[in-house]
Amino acid sequence: MSKVVFSAWQNELIDNREIQIDNWKESSFKFPYSYDKDCEARAFIGWNGVAIFDKNIDVVKLACEYAYSYQVYSEACGRCAPGRFGGRVLFDILDKIARGEGERSDIEFLKSASMTMMNTSKCEIGRTVPKPILQLLEYYSNDFLELIDNKKRSKEYENSEKNYISKVTAPCMDACPAHVDIPAYIEGVRDIRLDDSLRATRQTMPLAHTCGRVCPHPCENECRRANLDEPIAIMELKRLGADYEDEAAGEFGWFHPYPQKPYRDKRVAIVGSGPAGLTGAYYLAMDGIHCDVFEELPVLGGEVAVGVPEYRMPIGKYNRDIEAVRSLGVNFITNHRVDDEKMRDLEKNYDAVLVATGTRFSKKVRAKNEREDMKGYWPAIPFLDEINLYTKYSIGKPIDLSGKTIVCVGGGFTSMDVVRCSIRANAKRVIMLYRRDEDTIIRNTSLEEYHEAVEEGVEFMFQTAIEEIFDEDNVLKKLKCNKFEMVQPEDGGRPQLVAVDGADFYLDCDYLIPAVSQDADLSHLPKEWEIELTSWNTIKTDSKTYSTNREGIFAAGDCEYGPMTIVNAVGQAKRAASVMSRYLQTGKITLSSDEIMEDHLRKLRVYDKKEKIGGWLAGMEREHSRKLDVGYRKDKNDEVNFGLTKEQAIAEAQRCMRCYYIAMVAI
Amino acid sequence: MHEMLLHSDGCDMISFYVDGNLVEAKKGQTILEAATKSGHYIPTMCYLPKLEPISSCRICVVEIEGSDELILSCQTPVVEGIKVTTDSKKLFEYRQNILKLYDVNHPLECGVCDKSGECLLQNRTLEFELDRQEFSAKEEKREIKRWGLIGYDPSLCILCERCVHTCNEIIGDDAIEIATGGYSSHIKPKGSDELDCSFCGECIAVCPVGALVSTGFKYISNSWELRKIPATCSHCPVGCAIYYEVKHDGTLDASEKRIYRVSNDFEYNSLCIAGRFGFDFENSETTKDSSELSRAVEAFLKADTIRFNSFITNEEALILQKLKEKRGYKLINSEAYIFREFLSELSMASGVSFYTGSVEDVKRSDFILSIGSRIYDDAPVVGYAINSAKKLKGAYFGYLHTIEDNRIHPSKFVKYEVGAEEGAIAALAYVILKDKIVDNRLQEYLDDLDIGYICSESNISEEELESLAKILKSKSSPILIAGSDLYSHKRAENIARLLGFIEKHSNFKVLLIPTSTNTLGVSLICDLDKEAGDYVIGYNDIGDYRLSSLGDGDLDMPALNQQEGTFTTIDKRVVPTNAALPYGGYELNDIAKELEIARENTIDYTLSLPRKSGYRSVGFDELDDEISKDGVDRRGYNLVIEEKDTHFNLQKIADIDEYNGVVVYVSNPTSQFSYMTNRARLLKDQSSDLEGSEQFSIAAKIEDGDYVSISFGQYEVKKVFKINPKLKGVVGILPIFDNMLSTYLLPSQYKYQKVEIKKASLEKKVEEN
Repeated sequence: MSKVVFSAWQNELIDNREIQIDNWKESSFKFPYSYDKDCEARAFIGWNGVAIFDKNIDVVKLACEYAYSYQVYSEACGRCAPGRFGGRVLFDILDKIARGEGERSDIEFLKSASMTMMNTSKCEIGRTVPKPILQLLEYYSNDFLELIDNKKRSKEYENSEKNYISKVTAPCMDACPAHVDIPAYIEGVRDIRLDDSLRATRQTMPLAHTCGRVCPHPCENECRRANLDEPIAIMELKRLGADYEDEAAGEFGWFHPYPQKPYRDKRVAIVGSGPAGLTGAYYLAMDGIHCDVFEELPVLGGEVAVGVPEYRMPIGKYNRDIEAVRSLGVNFITNHRVDDEKMRDLEKNYDAVLVATGTRFSKKVRAKNEREDMKGYWPAIPFLDEINLYTKYSIGKPIDLSGKTIVCVGGGFTSMDVVRCSIRANAKRVIMLYRRDEDTIIRNTSLEEYHEAVEEGVEFMFQTAIEEIFDEDNVLKKLKCNKFEMVQPEDGGRPQLVAVDGADFYLDCDYLIPAVSQDADLSHLPKEWEIELTSWNTIKTDSKTYSTNREGIFAAGDCEYGPMTIVNAVGQAKRAASVMSRYLQTGKITLSSDEIMEDHLRKLRVYDKKEKIGGWLAGMEREHSRKLDVGYRKDKNDEVNFGLTKEQAIAEAQRCMRCYYIAMVAI
Repeated sequence: MHEMLLHSDGCDMISFYVDGNLVEAKKGQTILEAATKSGHYIPTMCYLPKLEPISSCRICVVEIEGSDELILSCQTPVVEGIKVTTDSKKLFEYRQNILKLYDVNHPLECGVCDKSGECLLQNRTLEFELDRQEFSAKEEKREIKRWGLIGYDPSLCILCERCVHTCNEIIGDDAIEIATGGYSSHIKPKGSDELDCSFCGECIAVCPVGALVSTGFKYISNSWELRKIPATCSHCPVGCAIYYEVKHDGTLDASEKRIYRVSNDFEYNSLCIAGRFGFDFENSETTKDSSELSRAVEAFLKADTIRFNSFITNEEALILQKLKEKRGYKLINSEAYIFREFLSELSMASGVSFYTGSVEDVKRSDFILSIGSRIYDDAPVVGYAINSAKKLKGAYFGYLHTIEDNRIHPSKFVKYEVGAEEGAIAALAYVILKDKIVDNRLQEYLDDLDIGYICSESNISEEELESLAKILKSKSSPILIAGSDLYSHKRAENIARLLGFIEKHSNFKVLLIPTSTNTLGVSLICDLDKEAGDYVIGYNDIGDYRLSSLGDGDLDMPALNQQEGTFTTIDKRVVPTNAALPYGGYELNDIAKELEIARENTIDYTLSLPRKSGYRSVGFDELDDEISKDGVDRRGYNLVIEEKDTHFNLQKIADIDEYNGVVVYVSNPTSQFSYMTNRARLLKDQSSDLEGSEQFSIAAKIEDGDYVSISFGQYEVKKVFKINPKLKGVVGILPIFDNMLSTYLLPSQYKYQKVEIKKASLEKKVEEN
């Protein structure tokens, strides 16, 4: 709910201009009426309309500035005729009016140029920029006419104290925790300029191979194309640029997003070389900051290396992502566990520390007689470590589960990895137990993942949980399981899982693999630092700057958020790197205006599920990548997904509607 | 490997309505394509059929029933049953508005613009009834650029992006990009200030306005004064369709008989630098003097041999053959001779009278191997086809050669030793055929191949072969391009047979690149001899009596832009060419007539081209000579391909000759195929230097800039030596286009030659000049 003088956003119109403040109607949208804690906003203007918070604001200047921000954007684009010239014309006319040199006929020109842009521009940005300008012309027409008729300058025309902060976004970019410039990398595929595509990805996402393969792609849930037919295959299009760089095998070097800054005299220690650690190192190094990354395991990459299996994320490809980080001069130190003593050293010897240690303790399933020392009790993290260290690096021994029955308890990606790896290790029978139903497991992982697991022969038992574990001589033998059903409480409220009487059953098995969730191991944080933790035992930050309560110590990724996605870790670490870079320069913890706007827009939400899409024809089917046949793949670690073919990728990229928008706050 | 193949064969048809008419479209075809193909008109600016949609101009918007907003027709595939309106008052207004924006500040000096008269912006501005510039914006300073043969005026540029997309998607140079800056956006060389490209001039051809121009054409003619003469480019075996442009009769300087430029159907096809800029090689200022003709006839009566090259038409080749039949001449054309031998061995193994691949097949392939060709120099358009397949289909391209070529960005470069072509082909045959074949003898042959030994001899690694084999498994339309290094190899016979068996027993198509323009035609029409006799008539070649189209022989002959006739192209197609310029002297047919081989005109021989070789009985005037409106090459006809008996006669792989010491590769640069291109005004500056890597410089003991003498046995040429930092390895590249160096003078036909290189004195160079 927002208090506004006037707002027109989506289909909601609020006009409190002639109304007593006590009787004001509130808008249902979460506008950024407070820009940051020190600064109130005067207005917000964007793709979907305008909201005025300060009744004295100069709306002509506001319109003019918004048109100007579009022109600045199109300075970086200029890829279609209506946008390229229209943006210029729009600003020129508004500026003429604001200067006090406008004519009444200019309003007509403005409307006509706006209509052309709205109907024919290539991106949504060109189509939506005129919208709030036309609304201001309509609802604040007197303000414009007064200047025109009296040849008067607008009151804030020359006031340089007033600030306007604009930000380009898109529904998919907003939904992506790393805010990847998705339309730009898709445009690179469409234009068959895969170098440009990869550079666009790497602006905010260094792990292009990884997130082109195993990202759960929350962006696709907020893709506007879904309002028309099906969302774009956003994740898979990311892979093309990365594979292109890989196939060119160094012919063109690395496609970094911008030139690396010269190294300055600042050093950061990063604890953990998983996605968060790598990302932090990448952007700190791009900013010219020396990074030493400490890794406990003998191999780099964290959970993507030792957790995600080869058939989903080939290590050769992940290593390319890691090498891209290394190419900037980042120093990696493996086999080096950081304990509390070492942490004190790091604080002393480095200008800042980024903790990115993930969550590497498997949680228990909470059954009777659950003991870690029981033979056959094999938590997911060590299980996957062993499998992956052998298949990817030939470290340790091969895991052979021939003749064994495996029961995995889970429901997320980790448990999927466990069961599919068990199939590949030749297990006799592989069972996945899950407390909730099929729809939920698909929602929590992906349809592809679930479908492929079923194809490979995994047995899924839904709405089932383990009550008790039975052993003989400390060797696990059997499980007692309960069945549940969803029951709608009589007093309304959320449906509850209730055990079904008499439906208990026993499962003989050799291994029980808990993969329900993970906890963070925070034993390396020195006690006397009194680092604040969350109630779920992760490192506490303000979730915006990723700075802990101890100065110079930052945390990002799963150790901060709890077990979450790769892209979430990337997004957090990218932000943390940006904050750290400024901190090393100024000694202050700050956000850039772009980052402040990013957070505001996420609160407001850029994607509108109910929006009706015009200007595009429905019915262009989404492309589906080719997969390795199940008969071939289930005993091998070959990558299952071939990715989209070039032709498919180009066709898919042509479906993208380039839903860029500009949002602007006046302060 | 099993795979789920989700793609259908692309033949499903769907139907929809355009302006009330039922129209059929292929699934995946765009509204614009299907509507245009069925004869409907939708205006465009940035659209080019040969490219993926650019969609920058937005003029091709249409209305679709049920959709409130306009739909962009160039990028929207047809959906079953939609009802499209291509023209209405609303559409006219939107399109007019876009043009108003395009016209913002566009300079009005059409009178001095080279594009005027064929300018798309001019045409559309008239079409949409704009007679004034309604909008304006503050103008900015924009600098006119000159990049060698290409000029760029940013103030005329409408940023349609055709040039950038063509350079990347078709040509593969990827040499220009958009410097984004909104209103001040412009085109710039990619990642540099200077343009580093192959100067094919495609960007000029596709530019809809006068922004990108040929610096050689600037201010020399208005477009409307020019007449297009359809012809076939005479520089290489691809035989691209071109237009020689000459003045209309009745224009002010119509008496000036010259070609002003070459153009082409750029919407569908592309040309290379030689085709576009190497057009003025005519033999002008010739007259008929009957005493000269008598002397020529005397020479012919005395001669027992005619030596010629393959820059001639099929008809002239047939006249030479008739002369042989009548008077018993030996016909000497060594490169056509070895090509004929090669083709005949190949077809005996494959059981088909020709190789089956074509340039179109390359474009459609998903797996391309090239061996024995420096492909961007031998036939640049084949290089473009490879680039398109790579860019648009994601084709894998394995480039096997002795010298790395960084222009073509192969998926994989496989280097082999000079002389190791036979082993390399055997290794490929092994990779391609080992699990496929049905012929037991071939199976045995492959089983007996010592791949380890072949690999170590040729320096190809077994891992490279394994990786090719692995990638090949997921590919469905492979092609093998086998270049001219192979035809002249001392083991050519066995190489050709191996290729023939690959073609017969696998899904690979094989594409040969005939050595020069009409090598294929000559090899099919003439019964060539191996050894010359005592008194030689040289036709554009060395001889005791010389006929020359360069004007430097005993009797003048017309150049190929002054002749009618046909060529037989790489695609086994007979295509016509026409005379762009008049010719005042005698032709080969005039001599033939004197020698009582009586046909009135050279083109009377078109009808009689040998049917046993696959030619059809079609007269010259019956040949179609156009590219259809939808881009189909309708020129001429395809040779008849016949099945043949096959023989199994593979030989053991021979040990390779040592190529120690200084070795050069005889190859001309892209811009220069022959003495003809070398004559062209715009290509004069192209380098003819001996080039080599740093390593070569050390091996040959010469330095950058040295003037050197290169000797092959008896023969010697002099050149400046340049270190080319892009080259690697110890083989130098020696162009010969400027020396009239007939390859028969070399100790062998093989393109690699052991040579001695010595520094030559500079005074000598001055003297020669």
